[in-house]
Amino acid sequence: MRVVLPSKKPSWIALVVLLAFHTLLLSVQTNHRFDTSFVRVWLLDSLGPVEKVVDFVAGEIQSVWHGYFALIGEHRENLRLHSDNDALRLELATRQEDAGELARLRKLLDMKSAIGGKTVAARIIGRSPASGSQTLMIDRGSNSGIVRDSTVLTPEGVVGRAIIVGSDYSIIQLILDSQSAVGFVVRSSRRLGILKGSGASALEMEYIEDDNDIKQGDELLTSGQDQIYPKGLSLGFVVYVGPRQGNFKIVRIRPSVSFGKLEEVLCMTDRIPDVSIGQAP
Amino acid sequence: MTNRIDKFGLLVKLAISLIAVVLIQGILGYRLRFFGYFDLPLIITIYYGFTLGRPIPAVIIGTSVGLIQDTLAGVPLGTNGFSKTLIGYLAATTGTKFDVDLPVARAIAIFLFTLGDGVMVTVLGVVTGAGPANYTSIMLHWLVSGVFNSLLGLLMFGIHDRVTHVST
Repeated sequence: MRVVLPSKKPSWIALVVLLAFHTLLLSVQTNHRFDTSFVRVWLLDSLGPVEKVVDFVAGEIQSVWHGYFALIGEHRENLRLHSDNDALRLELATRQEDAGELARLRKLLDMKSAIGGKTVAARIIGRSPASGSQTLMIDRGSNSGIVRDSTVLTPEGVVGRAIIVGSDYSIIQLILDSQSAVGFVVRSSRRLGILKGSGASALEMEYIEDDNDIKQGDELLTSGQDQIYPKGLSLGFVVYVGPRQGNFKIVRIRPSVSFGKLEEVLCMTDRIPDVSIGQAP
Repeated sequence: MTNRIDKFGLLVKLAISLIAVVLIQGILGYRLRFFGYFDLPLIITIYYGFTLGRPIPAVIIGTSVGLIQDTLAGVPLGTNGFSKTLIGYLAATTGTKFDVDLPVARAIAIFLFTLGDGVMVTVLGVVTGAGPANYTSIMLHWLVSGVFNSLLGLLMFGIHDRVTHVST
């Protein structure tokens, strides 16, 4: 299988040099001595259009698969049907897809007018290529008014914030990401706290010492105290209040947004102090 | 001169394939949720490490693919770069010292490299203040990812073997 060409160059030197380079790179970023965002923005702007094209092709293949190939079993049972019946089915599937998209966009538009501030709709074109990070790529950037920390949401609730903004593409850190932290307020009790992403599909409350007033089913809203997310947006619902472990208790939250079904999102392009969506009456 | 052009062409092809792998990982991870368990950039790093059998190109490939991955994932630059560089080196040296032609050996190697990559990325994440909140779920993710990567790696290596046999 292998074509092993003997090399007299000491390969460990290359390894040590590159590992030292990565360590240095990580170190300067951790100490905030060097801003790497220009590299990311440049690469994002270069690769964004390619990703959009590939995503479009993948979407079309998926659409044809769902609209035709997935129905092959059914098609066999209906061999007597005319060939134009298949074409009509395909067209119907496309129309249904369009109708679904229209409904989603209409909900976004309704929300846009409810928010009042400047917002822009964006389509998701990719997901984080690295395990352990929960990010999405969208097809809007600074040319559409998005800035770093712009809040990204859907009619259901908060999705996350923009962490890297290119000219026409941005990377969104989901609230599920392990680096994400959002200030919350419990809708019923008005209790404040910090909600941390777990890197998986649930969120966790941090440092809950006394959870007497937190119970299953409680809805959490953004508190606005983190200076990133506007107040009053829905974050999720308490699904588990665990027993005390050490000084703290584990409280798990199911996000309001179905992250597995996200296709379009709304990005806030100006910072507004308060949002009426989902706020307690 | 022709030799230089050949080398340049080869480098361009390699660069395009590495970028394509990271983009495909991002798009398929979004379109098919289960694809998040696969790590195509890691498989490619191991693949080139095994097939080239030369550590220097393997670490350069590992570094490149890791840095592209870091850039598009929004994690600190160097996290996956460090991990993939080391794995590229280990794959290349393993490939020359052990017989990785056997499917079982390959599957075990890919599984262990996946776990190693997961541990390294997590440790570097903790060091840079980006560690996971839930270690149980992340460990489960490594195990499932290890199995998925081993299966996909076996398939890819099998195709490579067939193509190599046909062309020789």
